[in-house]
Amino acid sequence: MSAPASVEEPWRRLSIRVVYLDLVRVAISLATGYLGTVLGDDPVWPLIAGSGAGLLGALGDLVRWRTTRYRITSRRVEMRSGWLARKHRIVARDRIRSVDSSARLLPRLFGLRTVHIGSGESESSFKLDGLDHQHAVRLQQELMPGSAPSATREPVAGQAPSATPESATPETEAGDPEQVIARLRREWVPLNVFTVWSVFAAASPLFGLHWLLRPVGVDLFGIGRGLLGWESRGLVWNVVLVLVIAYPIGVLVTTGTFLIGYWNFELVRKGTPPATALVTRRGLLNTQTVQRTDARLRGIAFAEPLAWRWLRLTETKVIATGLRQVGESATSGVLPRIRLGEARDLAAKILPDGSRPLEKALHRHPRGALVRRLGWAVYGPALASGALLLFGHAGALPGWVWPLPLILVPLTVPAAVVAYRSLGHGLAGLYLVVRRGVLKRRTVALQRRAVIGWTLEQSILQRWGGRMTVGVATAAGGRYYPAPDMSVEQALAFVSGATPELARRFIDPEGQA
Amino acid sequence: MADTSPPPPAPAGGLRLRPPRHRLDRRFIVWRTLQALPWAVGVLGTLGAIYGYAESTRPWLGPVLLVAGPIYAVTIAVMPTWRYLVHRWEATDDAVYALGGWLTRKWQIVPISRIQSIDTEIGLIQRFLGLATVTVTTASSEGKIAIEGLDLRVAEETVDRLREVAAATEGDAT
Repeated sequence: MSAPASVEEPWRRLSIRVVYLDLVRVAISLATGYLGTVLGDDPVWPLIAGSGAGLLGALGDLVRWRTTRYRITSRRVEMRSGWLARKHRIVARDRIRSVDSSARLLPRLFGLRTVHIGSGESESSFKLDGLDHQHAVRLQQELMPGSAPSATREPVAGQAPSATPESATPETEAGDPEQVIARLRREWVPLNVFTVWSVFAAASPLFGLHWLLRPVGVDLFGIGRGLLGWESRGLVWNVVLVLVIAYPIGVLVTTGTFLIGYWNFELVRKGTPPATALVTRRGLLNTQTVQRTDARLRGIAFAEPLAWRWLRLTETKVIATGLRQVGESATSGVLPRIRLGEARDLAAKILPDGSRPLEKALHRHPRGALVRRLGWAVYGPALASGALLLFGHAGALPGWVWPLPLILVPLTVPAAVVAYRSLGHGLAGLYLVVRRGVLKRRTVALQRRAVIGWTLEQSILQRWGGRMTVGVATAAGGRYYPAPDMSVEQALAFVSGATPELARRFIDPEGQA
Repeated sequence: MADTSPPPPAPAGGLRLRPPRHRLDRRFIVWRTLQALPWAVGVLGTLGAIYGYAESTRPWLGPVLLVAGPIYAVTIAVMPTWRYLVHRWEATDDAVYALGGWLTRKWQIVPISRIQSIDTEIGLIQRFLGLATVTVTTASSEGKIAIEGLDLRVAEETVDRLREVAAATEGDAT
């Protein structure tokens, strides 16, 4: 062990089982490589390449096991890693926003877990890949809400549920009270498997299979073409036929992925009132557990895809400080796609205060907002056409090109209407609510205390029309939620209503100034 | 309708957005002009040279120059003054409040308790003119306020005072 920097807290290392796992991986790789050389007259290159990659991966993983150290002191979490390029990462414990553990299939057989310690910004997040199950659980308990700042020290502390409750806070033990908010229901499955992308879900495994079988001398595409009678039809009918065949297969594939991903899905609230957390568990092969401290919860959001508006389907996300709305969707998404009515009931349980801000009837934005969007829908393509026309006159482009962008207008005009109808804002108790979006209508309910700044914007045309765009800056979720094109009156009333104390400093009642 | 005078946006419904108290320093105009000049000369000069020497590019560069020329002329001749007339700022004990932009106006408000860092930045031309840029950042990058073109002394005083006030109001961070 390298010399510890401080005496009080020793550095810990990853589980020795990582070494066993890597030895098994080396054995598998060598066996595959051997097969690749003896199977045919010529070496089977994909097998050999796979074996080489597996070997390198396993050796790299051994180096990682050798060099990784971590420790948790009362103030911070530290990790050292790297062999040639060394890294030393320090994150203060009060900045840690999420701790979750997961496991892939093979490490899982060895009882290994990967623990992610998230602090919001990706530069300061940890991934400890290769802790045994007990240590992973212990780490989660240490860093979890309500756990004692001083770490319990016995290396193998056993996890008998009847452990002595002598630790500083009794709720750290496995006996945390849990209240189940939602479990996977059978009706949810069909709602989540029909997507436009299903076709592609079928395509990528097919391509993989094709390339896998090619070296063995099987031309999958050739066979398929023969079966369909490709040559006897025109291109359009062929495409239609392929879609008709591929879509059901794609739906089967997405059904499979959804079931594997959401098997045993559970959304629970864990802990006793001052220190509670929202926990999701799901997955058939890889169990994913995500904890989100309630103290950092700042709001909730619905995203309704345009194609499913008629069925009123919605995705549900929580807005918390330290969780990014995009990117780390695994941690902000709390529910699969479900019916709006059900989602509303669940949302009321997800928010600790039980309020229902997302159901508030929202104020419509002024008619000018619609005119502005229709304008964009027309003059966007018109500008592109104008540019092409200019280039056409200069001789850079053929003369017939310039009207092409105008073809888009029949698409952009309905999109503009949808965009206008999505706009909305309102105040609901402790929350402010904004809604916008075309392909996905996003309704965001954010706690008013989470507002860390306002941005009001007004273009020339907005000034003439008496409208302005209100931007809500916050440390939670997407960091910034714009509400475009309110009337000036609505905007100032919205800001004043959401943060009255702050607004008094720069919004005057009429007639005083 | 083309009003170049600073705000007030159409007052409505008994509420009115008060503009921030202070203007920037007058040297802001010189600074922005000096800043825009090298860019305009560089870009237009390069494009013009290519247009002149390589005949085959003319059908493509002709329209680009036709549009870019007037845009640069406006940014040099009009924008700095226009911006000076619009931009305003203030830093009180409660909040930093700034108004910026020219064609599109932007009001920004950040409460002192939410400030994460306060930076002063002095560029090369700014040093020569005795100007400074004060930037106030929060946990949201869109909530960042940059006040460009303050007199160096004013900037220092403002930053010192903001540091004091921010240290006194222990914010709940986020």
